[in-house]
Amino acid sequence: MSGLRAAVDRAAVVRAAVVHGTGFRPTAAEAVAGLVLLLVLVAALWPGLLAPGDPLATSPADAFQAPSPAHLFGTDESGRDIYTRVVHGARDSLLIGVLATGIGIGLATVLGFVAGLGPRWLDFGTTRLVEVLFAFPGLLLALLFIVVTGPGVLSSTIAVGLATAPGYARIIRSQVRRTASAEFIEAARVLGRGRLWIVARHILPNVTAALFVLATLGLGQAIIWVSSLSYLGLGAVPPAAEWGAMLAAGRTYIANFWWMTFFPGLAIVASAAAATVIGRGIQKRNRSAA
Amino acid sequence: MPSRRFSRPRAAVVVTAAVALLLAACSPGGGTASEPSSEPVAGGTLTYASGDAEPSCLDPHVGGNYPQALIATQYLESLVSLDDDGEVIPWLATEWTESDDGMAWEFSLRDDVTFTDGTPFDAAAVAANIAHVQDPATASSTGYLALAKITDVVAVDDHTVRLELSAPDSALLESLSQVWVAMESPKALERSQEDNCAAPVGTGPFVVDEWERQDSVTLVRNDDYNSPPADAEGTGLPYLDSIVWRFIPDSASRYAALQSGEAQVIDNAQPDTIKSAESDDAIEELDAPRPGASNRIELNSGKAPFDDERVREAFIRSVNVDDGIQSLFFGTAERSYSPLSSVEPLGLSLPDLFTVDTDAAANLLDEAGWAERDADGYRVKDGKRLTLDFPVSTNQSIPAEQSLFEQIQADAKTAGFEVNLHPLDLSSWYGALAENDYDLVSAPYTKVGPDVLRILYHSDSITPAPSGYFANLAQVDDAALDDLLTRASATSNADDRESMYEQAQRIVLDGYYILPLYDQQNHFLYSSAVQGLRAMPTVSTPTFAGAWLVS
Amino acid sequence: MPGYRRWLLLRAGGVVFVLWAAATITFFALRLIPGDPAEAILGGPGSQAGPEALEQVRREYGLDQPLVVQYLTYLGRLVTGDLGQSYSLHKPVATAIGEQFGATLTLALCSLVLAWALACGLAAWSVRGGRVAWAIGSGLELVAAAVPHFWLATVLILFFSLTLGILPPVSVPGPLGIVLPALTMAIPLAGFLGQVMRESLLTAMESPFVTTARARGESEVRIFWRHTLRHAAIPAIGLSGWAFGSLISGAVVVESVFARQGLGRSLLSAVQLRDVTLVTGIVLVVALAYTVMTLVTDLADRAVDPRRRAVVE
Repeated sequence: MSGLRAAVDRAAVVRAAVVHGTGFRPTAAEAVAGLVLLLVLVAALWPGLLAPGDPLATSPADAFQAPSPAHLFGTDESGRDIYTRVVHGARDSLLIGVLATGIGIGLATVLGFVAGLGPRWLDFGTTRLVEVLFAFPGLLLALLFIVVTGPGVLSSTIAVGLATAPGYARIIRSQVRRTASAEFIEAARVLGRGRLWIVARHILPNVTAALFVLATLGLGQAIIWVSSLSYLGLGAVPPAAEWGAMLAAGRTYIANFWWMTFFPGLAIVASAAAATVIGRGIQKRNRSAA
Repeated sequence: MPSRRFSRPRAAVVVTAAVALLLAACSPGGGTASEPSSEPVAGGTLTYASGDAEPSCLDPHVGGNYPQALIATQYLESLVSLDDDGEVIPWLATEWTESDDGMAWEFSLRDDVTFTDGTPFDAAAVAANIAHVQDPATASSTGYLALAKITDVVAVDDHTVRLELSAPDSALLESLSQVWVAMESPKALERSQEDNCAAPVGTGPFVVDEWERQDSVTLVRNDDYNSPPADAEGTGLPYLDSIVWRFIPDSASRYAALQSGEAQVIDNAQPDTIKSAESDDAIEELDAPRPGASNRIELNSGKAPFDDERVREAFIRSVNVDDGIQSLFFGTAERSYSPLSSVEPLGLSLPDLFTVDTDAAANLLDEAGWAERDADGYRVKDGKRLTLDFPVSTNQSIPAEQSLFEQIQADAKTAGFEVNLHPLDLSSWYGALAENDYDLVSAPYTKVGPDVLRILYHSDSITPAPSGYFANLAQVDDAALDDLLTRASATSNADDRESMYEQAQRIVLDGYYILPLYDQQNHFLYSSAVQGLRAMPTVSTPTFAGAWLVS
Repeated sequence: MPGYRRWLLLRAGGVVFVLWAAATITFFALRLIPGDPAEAILGGPGSQAGPEALEQVRREYGLDQPLVVQYLTYLGRLVTGDLGQSYSLHKPVATAIGEQFGATLTLALCSLVLAWALACGLAAWSVRGGRVAWAIGSGLELVAAAVPHFWLATVLILFFSLTLGILPPVSVPGPLGIVLPALTMAIPLAGFLGQVMRESLLTAMESPFVTTARARGESEVRIFWRHTLRHAAIPAIGLSGWAFGSLISGAVVVESVFARQGLGRSLLSAVQLRDVTLVTGIVLVVALAYTVMTLVTDLADRAVDPRRRAVVE
């Protein structure tokens, strides 16, 4: 079938362009992603620069207003300006994304490496431990944790970090094992290289590449997880302008006032997508540099 | 014990079925949602979508909450009912008398009613039901409280029963009208609790046929039904072949189910959907505020800072809830100024106490020693910030109400109060209350009649039950109030009762123990194909006994 | 093959360990968080049950015993296959789970299949379409992976049920009722799987074995399905076990939105009511389903990836 052959050839071209063709010059997508992340970062650090208003100022008389020059993103059920809330919500949302992913991947890296490289009994033990955590529905783990610590941004973040760790650990372990069984590792072993040297020189870089994609994906996932907790009434504590909480709160009114969920949702998707694009970009440069 | 002497039936107390029917025919049907526009049509299946939690037991004797009352209204019936004016009318009991000393009541029962398992309804059945509610093994909560004063049940003859009390109870008839103490087949009650929970047997217009957990309960027509309450209209009830009672917890999905025709009636309708349904000819609304207490925020006077009345008044004077109620509820909820629901005839409203006056509030706080403000603008006293903890039950407060609390939080901040909202699941929420970890709280309470005030504000109710639960969440401890509430619940003089409950409500309102918001919202939306739907004037649950579907 | 038998034995031991540990953690976690299980038995939190009722229930359910004794009793019953009596449902846990398990399993499997179909379909399409299709494909995956279930569900209901009027907004008996719930769970998962596959699809396309296969004169169709996609699917298959677990979490939300029967909903209400036996029972069942799923994906992994077969023994 010539169609498929052409497709594969085209894909090779795509890959060539993506991996080798551009060198270190950012692509258009990366440039846009960088800009988005910069905006989010500014919003998180100096929200007043982008939106000088008070994200918590209520005004019942102005409730449920559609987007207009006065309120770019419209107003919510308490008459608060959604643009201001989205900007001021960047800090909490970013914190949730970064911290939860950090906790999840940090824990997972330790478990994954111990399991992937340790002696067989250690692998067995750690794998079982991960499996126990894994066999626990993530949401239940989060629910139990929040019931104990009380709801809030921080406890949701830790809960989501814990809940996602086993997933990462499994991927890392299989990556570690896969890399460890690769031919060039065998070669290094034959050459008499030390265990740690092999880990540092070969396995770690290979696994880190996979971790990067995971982390960038995880960033958005963590925000979404916390928003699901908010939907169940256990996420960020009101009146915090956290994106997930805004999404959950606005959903009640989705049929009549679409803007209440659209803009916080857009912020989540845009940040998650931008993080992924940038993460991929860095990863591919690592690869072509190596 | 010598048998009690009964006075001759007094006209005011004894209401015969005939009189009640006459009254019902004369009075306009205030509680009737839709005036029948056509002749009733028999047959058809109606789907009801409930937003309340699925009961774990369909027998409302066990536990006793509102979701149970909603569904049990379709298959269980009580000794007495209320008409649209709140007067007690006959149902399974035809007439009743109170003894002169108020220590006993005698009920004459209908002699032509059988339960749907064939067991006859008689005095022994009443005794078995009251014993069932009072048996600790049943784990009744609401029903248990309602019948707390009954010490003995005596079958005088087959169809006459005497209830003996530990103290006079002016609320007894109102209590007995509630579905939480409705009559079930004594034969069915002898089954295991698991079986009885799955399919209680009553005398009502429908029979529990099948319960598919987390999906639906199927109710089928009781072909031998002959016992509607005295104010029921129509003959040949019920008209529907069956009802599919579904549980759809998500409000948006529930409304979508109504719009797409998957359901014909939904409860817990959200304010914005009620508003948009107004312009939809295919959808009608039934607004049936629950009896008992209004929805109000209780101010915990049992500990600082609200142990100081000035601080309580300052809080109430500084938050504007009117605008929020107007915008969040789209005009579907009316502001309340009373501890009691607007359907309670004895409710007292004192709007003047709740006018917003931020200057007065500031002065009160200065007087109370909260004169300074910290860097964040919150008031402080002896280095301590004026902080209020507000646990919010995410199961009980609808989104609009939670938003209202956020607006209250914002208003209070301007006045210098730091309000911390804590959204909690039901168990944690009750836990926080039991630990006295709250300064503000909103807790619904449904009960027929003003005696609910005794449950909510008598100092006895501060003492927690073994579970840690207590009803007096404002922790009002006022000897004069206790005395009024106790005497009001024992008196059989209607005028005395009215005046005592008025004084009691005045004490609660004047003391700034509560911030009333609105009635307990109970909005139903239904397809215009549904006719003859009405809410029971007892606990405002809809009844489908007289409902039919037009094609 | 003795090695294979040993591997199987180890795996079986692992399963038992996982089940035991999951039950133990759940049991203690639920007993140590605030909330009284006796209240769950007596009609839910906030019950005004009297002291006699509480005492009777505590005695009947053994809640007056020390926690360790309760735990050992529970384990003892568990060994005989008795999951105990649900506190909040007034019926045996096994019955309660039996009523709900099928619905969740069907939903999870349908979603998993649908997610794979969507992910592979999108990958195949965007590989053929050149740069623009590639960009659109990865863009769609990014968005799909970043939408929360509860929001997606509502948007799907608005579109398919209210605007088009072709699918019921809440679960109904029959195949029509499962479409929207399954789609809601499948779309974010497809986005996630697609992203993982896309990475390896690129590597696979120019890997030596594809070149070799081409040199051998194998047809392009055969190369794509036998080698390229196969290679690309390996990491994603490894994720399927994880995906299954995450589907159970997703089921908590999706079953609520669509008013479907299922374990997710049972789990949420059981946690809120502190129904220890029911939560533990559900965790056990989910853990069992998960370990079985992992076993299956491990076997699938071995079947797909020739290199792994060598690693077994």
